[in-house]
Amino acid sequence: MNRVTKLASVAAGIALAATACGNSSTSTSSGSGSSTDWSKSTSATAGGGMDALVAAAKKEGSLNVITLPRTWANYGKLMDDFTAKYGIKITDANPDGSSGDEITALQHQKGLAAAPDVVDVGNSHALPYVSLFAPYKVATWSDIPDTLKNSNGAWYGDYGGYITIACDASKISGTSCPTTFADLAKPANAAAYKGKVAINGDPTSANAAFSAVWAASLANGGSLDNIQPGIDFFAKLKSLGVFNATHSTESTIEQGSTPISVDWEFNNSQYAADLKAKGITLTVAVPGDGLYSAYYDQAINKYAPHPAAARLWEEYLYSTTGQNDFMGGYARPAEFDAMQTANTLDAADLANLPKVTGTPQIATGAQLTAAQNTVTAKWASALG
Amino acid sequence: MAIATDPPRTGAADSALPRRTTRRRPRNLGAWGAVAPLLVYSAVFLGLPVWALLYQSIRRTDPATGVTSFTGQNLTESWHGIYLTAMWGSIRLSLLTAVVSAVVGLVTAQAIAQSRGRLLKQAVLTASGVLANFGGIPLAFCFIAAAGTAGEATGLIRKIDPGFALDTFTGLVLVYPYFLIPLMVLTTMPALDGLRRQWREAAANLGGSAWDYWRHVGGPILLPALLGGFVLCFGSSFAAYATAQALTSGTVPLITTRIASVLSGNVLAGQENLGMAMSLDTIVICALMMAVYLPLRARSARWLDS
Amino acid sequence: MAGLLGRLGRVRWWRVAILTLVAVYLLGPLFSALWFTVYNSRLHQFSLAPYGQLFSAPGFLASVRMTFFLALTTIALEFVLLVPAMIAIQLRLPRLRPIVESIAMVPLVVSPVALTAGVSTVLGWGLNDQGSWLFRLDADLQNQSFPLILPLIYAILVLPFAFRSLDAGLRAVDLKTLVEASRGLGAPWPLVLWRVILPNLRTGLLSGAVLTLALVFGEYTIASILTFVPFAVWIVQDGQGSGQLPIATSLLSLLLSWAVLFLVSFLGGRRAAAVTDRSA
Repeated sequence: MNRVTKLASVAAGIALAATACGNSSTSTSSGSGSSTDWSKSTSATAGGGMDALVAAAKKEGSLNVITLPRTWANYGKLMDDFTAKYGIKITDANPDGSSGDEITALQHQKGLAAAPDVVDVGNSHALPYVSLFAPYKVATWSDIPDTLKNSNGAWYGDYGGYITIACDASKISGTSCPTTFADLAKPANAAAYKGKVAINGDPTSANAAFSAVWAASLANGGSLDNIQPGIDFFAKLKSLGVFNATHSTESTIEQGSTPISVDWEFNNSQYAADLKAKGITLTVAVPGDGLYSAYYDQAINKYAPHPAAARLWEEYLYSTTGQNDFMGGYARPAEFDAMQTANTLDAADLANLPKVTGTPQIATGAQLTAAQNTVTAKWASALG
Repeated sequence: MAIATDPPRTGAADSALPRRTTRRRPRNLGAWGAVAPLLVYSAVFLGLPVWALLYQSIRRTDPATGVTSFTGQNLTESWHGIYLTAMWGSIRLSLLTAVVSAVVGLVTAQAIAQSRGRLLKQAVLTASGVLANFGGIPLAFCFIAAAGTAGEATGLIRKIDPGFALDTFTGLVLVYPYFLIPLMVLTTMPALDGLRRQWREAAANLGGSAWDYWRHVGGPILLPALLGGFVLCFGSSFAAYATAQALTSGTVPLITTRIASVLSGNVLAGQENLGMAMSLDTIVICALMMAVYLPLRARSARWLDS
Repeated sequence: MAGLLGRLGRVRWWRVAILTLVAVYLLGPLFSALWFTVYNSRLHQFSLAPYGQLFSAPGFLASVRMTFFLALTTIALEFVLLVPAMIAIQLRLPRLRPIVESIAMVPLVVSPVALTAGVSTVLGWGLNDQGSWLFRLDADLQNQSFPLILPLIYAILVLPFAFRSLDAGLRAVDLKTLVEASRGLGAPWPLVLWRVILPNLRTGLLSGAVLTLALVFGEYTIASILTFVPFAVWIVQDGQGSGQLPIATSLLSLLLSWAVLFLVSFLGGRRAAAVTDRSA
């Protein structure tokens, strides 16, 4: 038999065997043996207490998370520490994926053993999909500000940050690094900043970029109801020759194409820490004229294959250790204010966050939708 | 042309041929049997997802009440405003890059086909295969490093075109041929290999110049493969989005980046049905393109098929 | 005669110029990226550190192996579907040609994100009733260690390319005469296919196989949205973090894919040469 046929039949045979004898992929959620059906529990106490939750989770033995990059808000450490503490293996699917991908996975992997147990989505993707989430209130529920959570417990903010301006001074000659949005648009700085200012992607697709536009809007007379000044601002930067439409990442900053990056503080500060070893000093400034922050939300899959482990993960994220670890990743934990009052903030981690005064205003669902529609319609024509 | 492929029936030939033992069957049953698996497979694995797209594109969920109903609103919306601009931008970009890549690819393929080294040909073919699938963010970064604002070759490029910037339509026209030229080389190479060297020499011996050869012999033989390659380049360019997203962050409107923003983004939610409608529109464009391409190809291959 | 030779000489110079320009265009950006990964322009340091990490990372061999088998399955499926169909169309059903060609063109134009949306919607439909055979089939298709759904979709994705390669290959062969001759000598269809047609289609088959292999190794969007981890997805996952690492991993994966393809085509091509020599 010629080699090609042999190879092909072996391949076909292996494929068939793999699917036939593959591990059972159907979901058996309450195989824990305990009397509680954790998939219906709305809090640890309701299910029988933290110890029962820990026991049930350990019995389940694994947790499926999705779209969590290890270098984003210190998720690498959070996942490793969780596994070390409870012995629960974490599988992180599609780490570079988007909130949209998470919702797709929730909708189309219903009941599968590989479906995500928990999701970490932007506010825009939490509000419309409440029906996909299982309501749950963590032990520290009251420490989460009301503006950052769904009253029924469907979703709850975990960490967030301000839009910041990072700058690599070695690539700017003739003037200093910008610290406010006004600096970016100064004609006097145009020559020095030529082609150097970038945002983290397409505002209709990347949350960080969308937020950068909104922050710029707040700095130029806009509000949570009006994002148009932000679009106008970036159009002005483009006409000055200062705006670089390339998607800013750690690689492009290191390479030198985007030395001025307008991004979440937890991204920019992480880059700064990483790039220090490469001899690059990145200064991160929170622009005083455009203070915009947003929080990402946690939610539990209604059809989670490992409901106890999912709930334990949430408890872990909202414990003191978890919230402090977010700060270790340069992100602001949702329970910041409560922890500050209770004096449980880790001093070393706290030093990571630049001091900002004032309470952030969080956009409502209606404001978000309106702003999204404006940006979708206007961005390309303003900057094309 | 109803000339049968069976040999003429004479007495002597009859006895030499094996007896036909089969009953009378409907014509070409065997041929249909050979084509059926492909058709059935396509119906299931291409047809079903496309059907899902169609079904989703005519539905809409009212955010206030949560009721899902049938509506043509998504489809109409996808042909207006920014989406129409994006569709038009995609078509322009794809046509332009396909033409450029087809020409350069054909010329490159010809240059390689003429070489004698079998190893060189295989190295180039396999490299083309890999590069034709190289795209997205890594490709974007390679070009940022080479031709971006801090690129190595940017100074050189600016000497030819002082206003050049990578994050524009022109920049995309520079980047897209990167995976289209290898694609063209791959698809035309087999056809070019089929052009015998003897034909070239025969044409020369008959007094024809290189131009005559290409116009009367080589060109017509190559034309179907050429057209096919062009169409592949157009399609491949049309469907690409990740590279454009990384390079231009939505400032160059393209329908595929719109689809990605809606279906796989971090900002827009609840507009999946619109995304499906846009995807359906891209299939419509494909159908239009096939409607133009198929008659052309049939014409060009007519004398070859007979 | 001298004029002919002169013309051929001129052609050679022009050929070199074109090849050089295209080579510069294709290799230049790769080298820029390569330079970025090995040279730190601020500290003026040269280092190959990012490359060492790829091979030692856990899961590298496993993902290569899985992707290779996914590719083999796709190739087998592709040829089983396409070869008989195209032969039948060439010989007996020329009117079906436009239809098959159109089918082979649709996967190209549909954005991968959209196709994935369609596929994941269909997969979602099968999951509604947990006890049914449909659910079990659906779950098996999405088995994490060997997701059969991927080759099933890839076979569609690669249709445009495989169709073109086979088409070009079939054109170069006088199929009608070959088939008439072998059938006339009394060969049954399977034998005709196996011993007569396929050996003559070597280039087309090989180039189709190479294209499929390249596509499967490079395919990222569909696999990642459906949350599977073949090679291209593993590369991205592994290369997270610092600036140079993700670029280094993609460059290395490019090189590796090319090496695999070259090896396959080299081995396949040698057999082809041997076969044609024997029949000459």
